[in-house]
Amino acid sequence: MRNRFIVFALTVFFVTCLAWPQDLVLKGGTVLTVTKGIIENGTIVIRDGKIAGVGKNIPIPTGIRVIDVTGKYVMPGIIDSHSHIALTDVNEATDPVTPQIWMREALEPSSDSIKKTLAGGVTMVKTMHGSANIIGGVNVTIKLKYRDRIENMIVQDARQQLKMALGENPKRLYGSKGRIPSTRMGNAFVMRNAFVKAKEYKEKWDTYEREKAEGKKDLKPPEKDLRMETLKMVLEKKLGIDCHVYRADEIVWIINFCKEWDIDLLQLSHCIDGYKVPDVIADAGVCYGGWIDWWGFKEEAYDGCPYGFEIMHKAGVRIVINSDSADECRYLYLNAAKVLKYNDIPEEEVLKMITFNPACALEMEHRAGSIEKGKDGDIAVFDKYPLDSTSKCLMTIIEGKVYFDYAKESITAEGVGYE
Amino acid sequence: MNRKIFLLVVAVLFSLYPAFSNSSQQILIKNGTIVPVEGAQIQKADILIEEGKIVKIGRDLGASASAHIIDASGKYVYPGMVALMTAVGVTGYPGAGNDLDESGVSTPQMDPFDAINPEDPCIAVTRLGGVTTVMTVSGTRSPINGKSVLMNLEGRLAQDLVIKRYVAQIFNMGAKSEGKYPSTLPGVVSLIEGKLNKAKQYARKKEGAGQGKQGGNENGSSRFSIDLEMEALLPVIKGEVPALFITNDGVTIRNALKIIDEFGLKGIIRASKGILNYAEILSEKNIPVIWTGTKGIPGRWEPFDLNYHTAAVLAEKGVLFAFDSGGWGPDSRNVRNLPVPASLSVAYGLDEEQAIKALTINPAKIMGMDDELGSIKPGKTANLVVWSGSPVQMSSRVCQVIINGKIISMESIQTRLRDQYKKH
Repeated sequence: MRNRFIVFALTVFFVTCLAWPQDLVLKGGTVLTVTKGIIENGTIVIRDGKIAGVGKNIPIPTGIRVIDVTGKYVMPGIIDSHSHIALTDVNEATDPVTPQIWMREALEPSSDSIKKTLAGGVTMVKTMHGSANIIGGVNVTIKLKYRDRIENMIVQDARQQLKMALGENPKRLYGSKGRIPSTRMGNAFVMRNAFVKAKEYKEKWDTYEREKAEGKKDLKPPEKDLRMETLKMVLEKKLGIDCHVYRADEIVWIINFCKEWDIDLLQLSHCIDGYKVPDVIADAGVCYGGWIDWWGFKEEAYDGCPYGFEIMHKAGVRIVINSDSADECRYLYLNAAKVLKYNDIPEEEVLKMITFNPACALEMEHRAGSIEKGKDGDIAVFDKYPLDSTSKCLMTIIEGKVYFDYAKESITAEGVGYE
Repeated sequence: MNRKIFLLVVAVLFSLYPAFSNSSQQILIKNGTIVPVEGAQIQKADILIEEGKIVKIGRDLGASASAHIIDASGKYVYPGMVALMTAVGVTGYPGAGNDLDESGVSTPQMDPFDAINPEDPCIAVTRLGGVTTVMTVSGTRSPINGKSVLMNLEGRLAQDLVIKRYVAQIFNMGAKSEGKYPSTLPGVVSLIEGKLNKAKQYARKKEGAGQGKQGGNENGSSRFSIDLEMEALLPVIKGEVPALFITNDGVTIRNALKIIDEFGLKGIIRASKGILNYAEILSEKNIPVIWTGTKGIPGRWEPFDLNYHTAAVLAEKGVLFAFDSGGWGPDSRNVRNLPVPASLSVAYGLDEEQAIKALTINPAKIMGMDDELGSIKPGKTANLVVWSGSPVQMSSRVCQVIINGKIISMESIQTRLRDQYKKH
């Protein structure tokens, strides 16, 4: 009888573990909530992948895995809203307008870059088309659920964003082939022309749908055009826009263009000259996405200025630090610390630049970017304060599941080594 | 009228004042925490600088009434960082034309001194990051690239900046070309060995010609003609100038070591990968390493922190190593990010003291200039940086830079842009 009870209890225990692998408690850490201050010796309870409770005296439910993080720092999972990792292909550099390209088709869930990036506390990225084309492809926002199924990796309720690009890259590529665009005027024409055609296309389809709904007979649907379909989605605001842009004049230009077409510009990528027009960016409510100190690697990047963050912050611009690099994505927290080298900005605001602000740029602030009840259990555990440049990530957790564990994966761990 | 002339004279003298005051004036850095790098940290101490040199370190030092005082209370004084493998001065700004990497597979005679532009805005940006000395190369993309120079980042003319003209010859073991010779690693090895052999023959010929001339050999001097390519390799085969080998994996390291051995060169290995299996050999042979791989992403089957942890292993095995800021090639724009690999290495196991050495005294040693640079010591060149914290902290600020005993203006193209746009 007693034995049967033990078997029963164990079965219940294991079934519980299998059924709710996304339950987890982190106990005793310094919790940097990012939006609601710092909680010393705090507890985070994650249930079904969501944060069920966070605070000092949270009751710890029984039967859940508890990780003791006493003395460690717990922050929201780091987010990179401009990345090219986990993709087999990046640039469909054969035509200046390729909105029919969807980056989700190039997603490689077992890409090693995901594993390496997880080690830097990163939980979510927007992995993107390149900047060869005026209108590139549709980017894909993913959680770094290494080797999970694609549909689980892609953040399904995130509005995806179309990549567009201005400036030297498209100009140089197509100009070198003797094609349009080879000037900034050409860039502007190509983008405008695409939306003119998309508007006509949308009107044709709208008319058809309306007449169909009205019960009109003998209707012939207009021809489907996959390039136009994507742009139609942009016009319908089913897709947002991320535009690669360096120079101040072009920043202003794209903001005006998107206003004119009533389309949703969510992020200005690279945005080297952002500090020259901070009021324009702040008024447009678009996120600045960029590096802290890259400059001078090409003509349009010449005025890159690491002191510009303070100017933009004061003007009310939402600043997002992007890596745009599989390498630097692994230590975005170091790039965040660099902000303090050049600017007087409060540290919590700096932490937001790699967590809450990119969550906003992805319109995912209701689910990610801070440690708050109800949000996804996406967490990074650091051995020291993450803006201390000698700190390292110890654990990366996505929706309550541990995806990276320093103790198991480090070269210094037993059985790993380098030979 | 007279008064106008008087005012003009005063104005002219006043405008020249900084130039005068910097040349031989004493500087006293007061009350800082001094990190001499060689030796223990000294709290609340002063450094006296005179004639461009560090004269004295101690508590409550006196100075002449005209001395320029820098208050470093609550701050840290470190030696200026020494950045190797840069292109500062050679690839200045976009549109100015690229002077790196001359065409050809063997161009050892290329001398970056001939292309140094003292107006390169990278100079000010770099020194504002706490880097006071750079080694600038002429290129890296060929098997045999050219000379490299060592510069203190202060001076009006190229000859004022450069402190040593030929600090290393740059070989690249990974410089295979597509579709033309050498297109394989054995090709690169044989090209380098061939040129070094030729340089040996050239040396004998030159010697013979010289003796012939003195001995009155009628054909001796006329048969010998100067070859600048070979001339550049002479000090390398004699072991007077180091041969710096850029490698990109274990196999290229092995071949570089073979060439160093065979020709008795004074070798330096620049490594981005595969260095750990050679750490012991390098330590035994006293071959220094420029470790540039910290930020590189390890391979699919390698642990994620292999490269972050490498510097700690190099230090443990006693290899003399320095960090550099570059990736594949030299990057002149963000040489100021030299401490990034040091930070990552400290986070993943390197002792901070060792990390600071690898940014200062170690690169000075590798360049054979440690009697002048790389630590805070009386008699050394006054290349000093007042920091708000440790250089390995990305948040630490550079408060004041002193190079050649001169107080450097804390301005750059970027501070000017800041000041211009702050007003809005």
